[in-house]
Amino acid sequence: MDETPAYSESAFNDDGTGPDGLPAEHRMLPRTRISNAIDRFIMRIGNAASWIWVVLIAGIFTNVTMRYVFGRATVWLEELQLYFYAIGFIIGLSYAITWNRHVRVDALADRWSARTRAWIELLGMVFLLLPFAIAITTEAVPYLMTSIQLNEASSSPGGLPYTWILKSFIVWGFVLIILAALSRLLRCTALLFDRPRPL
Amino acid sequence: MFEYEIIVICLLLTFMGLIFTGFPLAWVLGGVSFMYLTVSLVLLNVFNIDTYFLDDWNDFAIIVDRIWAQMQNWVLVALPMFIFMGLMLDRSGVADKLMANFTKLFRGLRGGLALTVIVIGVLLAASTGIVGASVVLLSMLALPPMMEARYSKTLAAGVVASSGTLGILIPPSIMLVIMADQLSLPVGDLFMGAVFPGLILGVLYVSYVVIAAMVRPDMAPAPERAEEVTWWDVLGVVWSIVPPLLLILAVLGSIFAGIATPTEASGIGALGATVLAAANRRLNLEVLRRVCRETMLTTSFIFGIFLGATAFALVMRSLGGDEFIGGLLEGLPFPPWGVVAFILFIAFVAGFFLDWLEISLIILPLVAPVVEGLGFDLVWFTVLFATTLQTSFLTPPVGFSLFYLKGVAPPGITIGHIYKGVVPFVLLQITGIILVFEFEDLVLWLPEQMY
Amino acid sequence: ADRVRWQMAMSFPSTLKALADTAPWVAEQIHTMSGGTMTLQVFEPGTLVKGTEVFDAVSQGKIDSGYVWAGYEFGKLPVSPLFGGQPFGLTPWQMSAFMLEKGGQEMMEEIYAPHNIMPIFCGVVSAEAAGWFSFPLEGLDEVDGLRIRFAGMGGQVLQKMGAEVTVLPASELFEALEKGVIDATEFSMPTVDEQLGFYKVVKYYHLPGWHQQSTSQYLYVNLDKWNGLDETQQGILRTACTAGVAKSMARAEGLQGAVLNKFTDELGVEAVTLPDEILRELKITTDEVMAEYSEKDADFARVWEAMTAFQDENRQWAEKGYLPAGWMSRVDGE
Ligand code: NA
Ligand code: NA
Repeated sequence: MDETPAYSESAFNDDGTGPDGLPAEHRMLPRTRISNAIDRFIMRIGNAASWIWVVLIAGIFTNVTMRYVFGRATVWLEELQLYFYAIGFIIGLSYAITWNRHVRVDALADRWSARTRAWIELLGMVFLLLPFAIAITTEAVPYLMTSIQLNEASSSPGGLPYTWILKSFIVWGFVLIILAALSRLLRCTALLFDRPRPL
Repeated sequence: MFEYEIIVICLLLTFMGLIFTGFPLAWVLGGVSFMYLTVSLVLLNVFNIDTYFLDDWNDFAIIVDRIWAQMQNWVLVALPMFIFMGLMLDRSGVADKLMANFTKLFRGLRGGLALTVIVIGVLLAASTGIVGASVVLLSMLALPPMMEARYSKTLAAGVVASSGTLGILIPPSIMLVIMADQLSLPVGDLFMGAVFPGLILGVLYVSYVVIAAMVRPDMAPAPERAEEVTWWDVLGVVWSIVPPLLLILAVLGSIFAGIATPTEASGIGALGATVLAAANRRLNLEVLRRVCRETMLTTSFIFGIFLGATAFALVMRSLGGDEFIGGLLEGLPFPPWGVVAFILFIAFVAGFFLDWLEISLIILPLVAPVVEGLGFDLVWFTVLFATTLQTSFLTPPVGFSLFYLKGVAPPGITIGHIYKGVVPFVLLQITGIILVFEFEDLVLWLPEQMY
Repeated sequence: ADRVRWQMAMSFPSTLKALADTAPWVAEQIHTMSGGTMTLQVFEPGTLVKGTEVFDAVSQGKIDSGYVWAGYEFGKLPVSPLFGGQPFGLTPWQMSAFMLEKGGQEMMEEIYAPHNIMPIFCGVVSAEAAGWFSFPLEGLDEVDGLRIRFAGMGGQVLQKMGAEVTVLPASELFEALEKGVIDATEFSMPTVDEQLGFYKVVKYYHLPGWHQQSTSQYLYVNLDKWNGLDETQQGILRTACTAGVAKSMARAEGLQGAVLNKFTDELGVEAVTLPDEILRELKITTDEVMAEYSEKDADFARVWEAMTAFQDENRQWAEKGYLPAGWMSRVDGE
């Protein structure tokens, strides 16, 4: 029996977290001290960032009201909505890793043992996700630097200045993705090799 | 065959193999792309093999520009907004009441819940073109009551996935907007042209559900206590239908009254759902917090797939994948209608592995001049092509609707149920495509009337 | 380099008549002239990068070259739209003279070199129209509060005159116009406007295109790649582009008249000439906007000064050497 002890259904909090306040799952990977620290960090950022959808709704409503009721168009407000949306999804990518919400085709995987699945997760992190995310982060830095150097601004009349602020979120988003992936990686090694020590 | 074309085939095969490991699809797409970049560079630099445009690390760096393009894509703002609307409706109690009342009303009617899903699917399709949002919304509203009514899981999954996919075809449709831009055709003509094909698919779905429920009662069982439907039940339905109807009215109405663009209307819908929740005394800070968080997670897993797909397409394209597929289409020994049929067939098959955007980017500019040269109407062809690509959302293994559904479905519904469930609907899609192919006027009549 | 195989990313889809179909033609000429040793492979917008991002990608060497309208890099290089087309600026043949004979090409190379780009003047097409309106613009007071989609410097001018300018994406334009979210939109020249079907939703087509009397496009080549070419190859690119200028100008002028006639004669479109009162105010405001930019950006000042100097020098000749606009209708008593 190599199945990891998992939280039972009753131990789920009503919002999907376990007793430790971290996302709970059935047939879960073990937790470790480092991965918990990372996961808490990502949860904090993701939770805070999730309010951006309310802000986006407010932005859209204001823009529509301004134009329809008062006949005023504001390009910067139109652009600001893109900022909210873009920041929301790019920060959310790591959040969804921590919540294990990225879609899997697990028709076969469901039948495999926890160790097999942990091996796949480990190899996937090392050979698929991490190289991809690191490559993008590395390429996003010069991309961002160019924007800062040229003091890039919106090319629309009355648009927002400092485009680099939004561009920097590609870097932040992917650094968080790398962190979230490392956390899962450690949880796989904890299951497979007892390193780092499972809690 | 060129050396790089062999690499393209290996790329596709590797990808196919790896998705079945159960590793997240988004990162399989992204990771395989990067892996093949590395492989190609080694082949080029060590073995001097021609890798076409994939000959420098820098070629992969375009991915950052493509992510930026996604961040600047105004139309996609509607995605989180409609997801928010769906989640808020779910929390507001409006959706429960609606489904409960419909269940009551349809308790005599086999397959009634499935029919409701199709109708709501068509209404949603007319207010948005964002498939991810529609599928998620329908899953949340309809799957729990369907499970409770002991519908077969395959039928439930199939009907939700396909009804949610209608939005990409029925206007407003981002797919048609992009095709119009690619081919420099009027968007309005394409929009009007797609109305009947979209509705016909809806009707085909309805017929299938009705027939299936009659032939295989176990797929859509009648409720156990088959009481008479009373006038109170009808009244209950009418009453419970008012709030969501108001919401759809707010979304569609703000578009048609010229108050808001379709994208902005999604924000109005999200606000409207929040107001409804407040009116039902269901809104508090905790609910808002949960809805925001869930919006974040759902939006992000969908964008994860977008991101991986854009990397995959880039690498495939740089390896000459476009020319490879284009080459298949050249010099066909077919009569004109055979050429069109073959193009659609290629698009259909490509739809098993690629998403609609990449297929249109690859094939459309290539074939449009050919089809026009054969004397076909380009608006007709484009709508036909769009209908074919709509099917790609449903065809396994890479069917985005299937993944969206999987992402939010209750644990009892597996990807296996979903794959099986869409099979009859894919057959219905093919029927729809054949109808549009045979009867040109299904597409061309409405645009002529409108303008 | 013995063999050249480059990506050539487009800023507009090559299905757009006259505006963008010169690019594949230029690529073909390059292929032929080089005896098949040079291939510039056309990549439609979005296949590699969006049209607006070509500058960035070529500059950073992510793609080898692009055939683009100069101006999308406005946010990074404020002078760029002057090379793409200027409000109250140069006509296609004046622009050709400026670029090829009056030092424009050299000036541009100098300005783009720090961005690691070699720009080659490679196409120029006819004036744009002033836009599609749901009502005819009759007086200056109607500009105030006008809800119009208008990108670029022209948009800034209108904004200054009190119009409510938005930059709705092209994907939402058609519906926004149809449903009345906005009153008007600027787009392109008649051939392109016909393809996009704006005449189906609004019927007042305003002329002349004060904001862009010509539209110029360039072959952007990554500077490192350019320096890696031998003289023959560089010569082939320059020659093909100069041929591209002639070809695009001819093609664009050849097509516009028939389309405008079709609008007015068959499709029920009214061609509205902007009243002098509005044009005058537009010109005054344009001068203000151009002065503001000149103050902020030295390159902008230099190029705009050179352009206006040439325009002034050419003015007497242009007004007296050619028959004045509209004389034929006048003589015919129409
Ligand atoms: Na739609
Ligand atoms: Na598919």
